[in-house]
Amino acid sequence: MREALTVLTGQGYWSPLIWAAAALGTFLLAGLLWWRGRREYKRGTEQELPFVSGERVENPRVGALHLYWGLTEALRPLLERLRGWHSGVVNDYAGWFVVVLGVVLLLLLL
Amino acid sequence: MGAHIPILAIAVPLLGGFATPLLAKLHRRLRDLWALLVVLFVGACVGYVAVHVFAQGLWVYVLGARSPQETLAPGGFPIRIMLVVDGMSAFMGIIAGLLALVAFPFALKFLPEEEGKNLALTLGLLLLAGILGMAYTGDLFNFFVFLEVTSIAACALIGYRTWTSRAPEAAFKTMLLYSLSGLLFLLAVALLYGEYGALNLAYLSAQLRGSRVDRLALALFLGALAMKAAAAPVHFWAPDAYGEAPAAQTLLLVVNTQVSLYGLWRVLFTLYGGVWDAGLGWLVVAMGLLTLVVAAFMALLQTDLGRLVAYGAVSQIGYMMLGVGVGLATLAGRPDYGLVALKGGVFHMLNDALTVGLLFLCVGAVEWATGTRDLRELGGLGHGLPEVALCFLLASLALAGIPPLNGFASKILIYEGSFRLSPILTAIAVLASILLLAVYARAFQGAFLGPRAEVPRRVPAVFLLAMAVLAVGIVVLGLVPGFFLEGVVTPAAEALWRGRAQYLAAVLGG
Repeated sequence: MREALTVLTGQGYWSPLIWAAAALGTFLLAGLLWWRGRREYKRGTEQELPFVSGERVENPRVGALHLYWGLTEALRPLLERLRGWHSGVVNDYAGWFVVVLGVVLLLLLL
Repeated sequence: MGAHIPILAIAVPLLGGFATPLLAKLHRRLRDLWALLVVLFVGACVGYVAVHVFAQGLWVYVLGARSPQETLAPGGFPIRIMLVVDGMSAFMGIIAGLLALVAFPFALKFLPEEEGKNLALTLGLLLLAGILGMAYTGDLFNFFVFLEVTSIAACALIGYRTWTSRAPEAAFKTMLLYSLSGLLFLLAVALLYGEYGALNLAYLSAQLRGSRVDRLALALFLGALAMKAAAAPVHFWAPDAYGEAPAAQTLLLVVNTQVSLYGLWRVLFTLYGGVWDAGLGWLVVAMGLLTLVVAAFMALLQTDLGRLVAYGAVSQIGYMMLGVGVGLATLAGRPDYGLVALKGGVFHMLNDALTVGLLFLCVGAVEWATGTRDLRELGGLGHGLPEVALCFLLASLALAGIPPLNGFASKILIYEGSFRLSPILTAIAVLASILLLAVYARAFQGAFLGPRAEVPRRVPAVFLLAMAVLAVGIVVLGLVPGFFLEGVVTPAAEALWRGRAQYLAAVLGG
């Protein structure tokens, strides 16, 4: 039974059961902290409204495409290069295939 | 009949596929029932073969003879077609059978009758037959034939939605690259045939000397199979193809990619195992790293949920190549960590099939319910489609390698094995996993969170059932990984690691 639950990695082991027990302990601790929290919070009242420079915001949802804006801006040169390689033009794709084949041939024949 | 199960696993879907449109002429329900029966039969066959191989070892099936030794010509090579099923082949068969059992019931409901359902079901069965043929054959030319069967069926499925502009274009691109790949594979087979006068994989493996012609053939095999397995930088066709095929059929395309990877392992470990070179392992590792990093970054840029999942699927190919590549690079000394990485890579094939399969089914369910996959239009679906949202979340976490789900169990083996070879490999792989987690968190937030959105169409129960099967698989493989690792993955990995001698002995005798 123990073998079924454990993965030996050579350096150590991975046991989902121990992880689950640790996760349960963490959830219980988090629940305890939450239970001891402030009680004046009320769902559905204006306490839930976001505060954006004092302005009332009608649709406060941040769209999926706006997530990681900073990351994508910082990586823009790399991402644009990658996007360029994925041109959608089949000639380019066949060209890449030829390049890879050339490199593999050189590596294996030289 | 039990003795003929390996060939029946290939022949039944092949003939069943051609019979499907004929049965549709009688009654559509009869056709659906027939397709289900064929897939159930195939599932039972691959299960039987796997149990037999894992319990009793390698299974050699010869067409027209009782044993391979009866077919040996005076030159010492077998002259009949044969199937050679070892642990790795049986493992690949399990993956194909499992995903087919999920994909077909989903497809029966998902595919509209007026959009050529007969054709899609026929092609699906032909693709399944080709995949199992590639997995079980012990002959290089037969491997090429089945490779072509899968290519034709896959391209037709990708271009299935002929009334859209993107699907035929994706099919054309895939067809061109698949043709290139198939031709180079055939050229490699021809080179070996010219040199040794045989096509049997075991015989060729015993004869290979590592000459320049052998190496040229190896380069062609590697290029052809890496392209079909969607390894970077020849993966470009895959996101287009995965993104445009109907969701249920995409599951079969995922297996089609994996069986090409299986073909690459077969060539590198079994065919060329005797003239092995450590540089080959490093080449596979390098391609794996490039694949997982490039695909993870490209996933970050996607606005179409289907293409986003497709790039995630391509990145997982990178993890498999990394794990198995480490095993290949260390094959000379056979250290423990090489086998650990190899097991991780092989285990990840099964985990990837479940997680990516579930993600594609979720995409199909979202498209069914809303008519779109555009993340700029989607949002708030978690209120109306809570089951789909839960499945998408579960599969996303598993794909990113979050414990205690199945993706973590295989990734930790890959990480630990590759760390011993070079810590840089592990660092890059972990960073790519983090990036994937971020990408899938974004996709989940974009499609399922936010204010309640109208869901025009309810998701049918059969969709939820198919998704539930894969979701349960993800959880079970995550919670009891040791059971599957020892029972299924280790025999497959061992077949590659030290199974070459047994493979040759089973076919050639001695």
